[in-house]
Amino acid sequence: MTILQAQKIYKSYGNKLNRQEVLKGIDMEVGEGEFISIMGASGSGKTTLLNVLSSIDKVSQGSIQIEGNELTAMKDQQLATFRKKHLGFIFQDYNLLDTLTVKENILLPLTIQKVSKKAANSMFQAIAEELGIYEIKDKYPNEISGGQKQRTSAARAFIHEPSIIFADEPTGALDSKAASDLLNKLSEVNEKRKATIVMVTHDPAAASYSSRVIFIKDGQIYSQLNKGGETRQSFFKDIMKTQGVLGGVHHDN
Amino acid sequence: MTIRQLIYRNFKKNLATYYLYVFALLFSVALYFAFVTLQFDPSMDETAGTIKGAAAIKVASVLLIAIVGVFLLYANTLFIKRRSKEIGLYQLIGMTRRQIFNMLSVENMLLYFTSLFIGICIGFAISRFILMILIKITGIEAIANLHFSTDALIQTVIVFTIIFGFISLMNWIFIRHQSILNLFRVRSKTEAKIGKVSFFQILIGILGIALIAFGYYVSSRLFSGDATIERYLFFAMLLVLASVILGTSLFYKGSITFIFFLIRKKKGGYLSIREVLSLSSIMFRMKSNALLLTIITTVSALAIGLLSLSYISYYSAEKTIYEAIPNDYAIVSHEDGMAFSALLDDHDIAHTTTEVDFTISHADLHDVLGEHAEDFGFKVNDTPMIVVSDKNIDTIDLQDNDTVFINYSSSIMNILTFNDTGTVQLSGKSDAHDLKYQGLEEVYILPFRITSGGFPVAVVSDSVFHELQADEDPDLEPFFQDFVGIDLKDKADVDEAEELFHQDISQYAGNESRTASFQYQKENMGITMFVVGFLGLTFLVTSGCILYFKQMGESEEERPNYTILRKLGFTTKDLLTGIKRKQLFNFGIPLVIGLCHSYFAVKSGWFFFGNEMLTPTVIVMLIYTALYSIFGFLSVLYYKKVIKSAL
Repeated sequence: MTILQAQKIYKSYGNKLNRQEVLKGIDMEVGEGEFISIMGASGSGKTTLLNVLSSIDKVSQGSIQIEGNELTAMKDQQLATFRKKHLGFIFQDYNLLDTLTVKENILLPLTIQKVSKKAANSMFQAIAEELGIYEIKDKYPNEISGGQKQRTSAARAFIHEPSIIFADEPTGALDSKAASDLLNKLSEVNEKRKATIVMVTHDPAAASYSSRVIFIKDGQIYSQLNKGGETRQSFFKDIMKTQGVLGGVHHDN
Repeated sequence: MTIRQLIYRNFKKNLATYYLYVFALLFSVALYFAFVTLQFDPSMDETAGTIKGAAAIKVASVLLIAIVGVFLLYANTLFIKRRSKEIGLYQLIGMTRRQIFNMLSVENMLLYFTSLFIGICIGFAISRFILMILIKITGIEAIANLHFSTDALIQTVIVFTIIFGFISLMNWIFIRHQSILNLFRVRSKTEAKIGKVSFFQILIGILGIALIAFGYYVSSRLFSGDATIERYLFFAMLLVLASVILGTSLFYKGSITFIFFLIRKKKGGYLSIREVLSLSSIMFRMKSNALLLTIITTVSALAIGLLSLSYISYYSAEKTIYEAIPNDYAIVSHEDGMAFSALLDDHDIAHTTTEVDFTISHADLHDVLGEHAEDFGFKVNDTPMIVVSDKNIDTIDLQDNDTVFINYSSSIMNILTFNDTGTVQLSGKSDAHDLKYQGLEEVYILPFRITSGGFPVAVVSDSVFHELQADEDPDLEPFFQDFVGIDLKDKADVDEAEELFHQDISQYAGNESRTASFQYQKENMGITMFVVGFLGLTFLVTSGCILYFKQMGESEEERPNYTILRKLGFTTKDLLTGIKRKQLFNFGIPLVIGLCHSYFAVKSGWFFFGNEMLTPTVIVMLIYTALYSIFGFLSVLYYKKVIKSAL
């Protein structure tokens, strides 16, 4: 079942005289329970794509539907409510509130949804144990490691069981061990909870954990790779190959 | 871009950000200049004859400059820290420290001296207005007629230039001691880490509350007749001050964190957006904010306390005078009284003359006062007391064995408490009368000058009075023998009567005109009120500004948090409800505690200043709260701006 559908989305910055087109007509679909990576070189528009898909930024043209809701038609207030209920976020720099403990950070999305305290607690326990951060629940962000921070951030994204989770370079600030830990957890949660994940990354190893990789170049979709029945290692090689073709600075006129 | 353009742009940007700083600067310069103008004005000399107005204003201007100086220096440290990143960047692109310093100084100078110039203009414009206020509240008859004073201008410019010198020195030291790396780091460094609430912190919290309570308790006992406290009054006062200030500091350091910790623990990690933005944010910063909050609380308490006391004395001036001088003219010798009465007749001024016959007796008051009254420095069982006959008072008619007390000073009654009933013994040289005490009556017939400053007068039946008068102990002979009270029938005659009174009668000691005394009192209280009022206002503006600047910095530090929260789907409105709570706390707590402190301070000793506490104190507190809230409100607006631009 399709959960997200984007049609002909354009995004440009600047004024009429000095226009910078970042997204040039992108079509994409995300099915329920999929784990998709968006890859591309710096400046290819992958973060902008993620921002418009996740309603943080607005498109200049085109339509985006999540579970049948047209994002482009919504007002700020509605968008905020929509994000609150249906979306989860994981960011490169964790985006945890320093003033809150791990547990408080994770429970944040639930507080607006009239979930009872007891239910919230059991949800917290389940997700925190899955991600291996239950022991540090009363610590503050400045007392834990980068990997733990990112898993806290992930737990916060998962706890209210959103329709889609958007991850922007989640492994960008982590060392390789912490990164693979996190990705393992993510794909575990993806399988166990049937959570839909859209992840932006420039790291082929990270992308190889997903089921489908979309390559972006200069604001357009360049190609897609499906994992299908392949192992992660061979999928990783495919990604590397495509990236090799894609990479570089040559520009086709 | 040249350095000049850079300076110009920075100046323009800063003006928008620091409008409140500019306002505070304008306010202080204007007020200072107005004060100095008054001080140098020849018209002040006329009024200064009796009340030393110029001296009071001079003291006020010195205090004003002290407050303003501290404020400007503190505000400057906040600002320079905010710009540390920018300074680091200049260093990074190869500017020398001296160049950066020069650039900042030019920029500062533009802001500062433009404000100084405008402030002086405003100051001159309002000095006339301020003089009018002074005239209004002191009741001095003078013409508000001011000239531009070059002396005042020079003094203002010199004083503020010296302050600017200090500011520049501070900036230089700051820039000097920073390396590029430090400059980039300074903002995140200031926040203390928060961990668990330790047992020690709980102890500190409890100690803080206990110290404040102890201070309040001792303050309430200060003038209640406790012998030990009376003896060491000065030390007791210092003790109160020390324990309350220390208690306040510990309260912020420990108690608040502790209380918040308990609330937070009860929530079990399930914090609503409101609590996230108020509770946890305040806890997070409490350690670094505690000192500032303590200072602001103490300063507010001081300002409110002084304002209340001076307003109490101003407010009570009339009532005090009506108690102390029961007639329009109180004349303490029969001849003078008759002479003045005749003089008034000569000028066709209608008046009534009341002569009150009184005597003095030994009074044994131990049964109505209780033994502890010994501490007030008189013998309870043998104190000289003025006695009058009940025929002087229409409303009182007594049996031979009864007595009531009248003519008491409200201030004295606040420390001296009489029982409702009891036995009073009045005795002359040989005979003693045991009388049943029937209570106090609010009747005034003798001036306090005769009754040793407001000690009650005993009223007895006419026959008892005559017995006592005949039996009067010559050792007790009062300083004044007679009393003549003269009241004008038509108050419109007061000017003419005053003139006659001051021609002749007033030169004999003890003869008083109520109008003149009231005027004198009003001038004294008025000038105090005026000075304290403007100083209080300065305290208010500067402390409000400091809190606002602090919040400005905080809001920018928390900006990333707002970005996260907005990405998660919280609306601006959600965030603002939390911010409102936080500001209610940040501005409310120092205010409430300051009000509390000043209430207890005022309560412990207000009766020396007047005879009405509640109304003037409440009025002062309400006005202070209202003006202070403006700053809280402005800070919420600033937060709103930051939150809106966060996503």
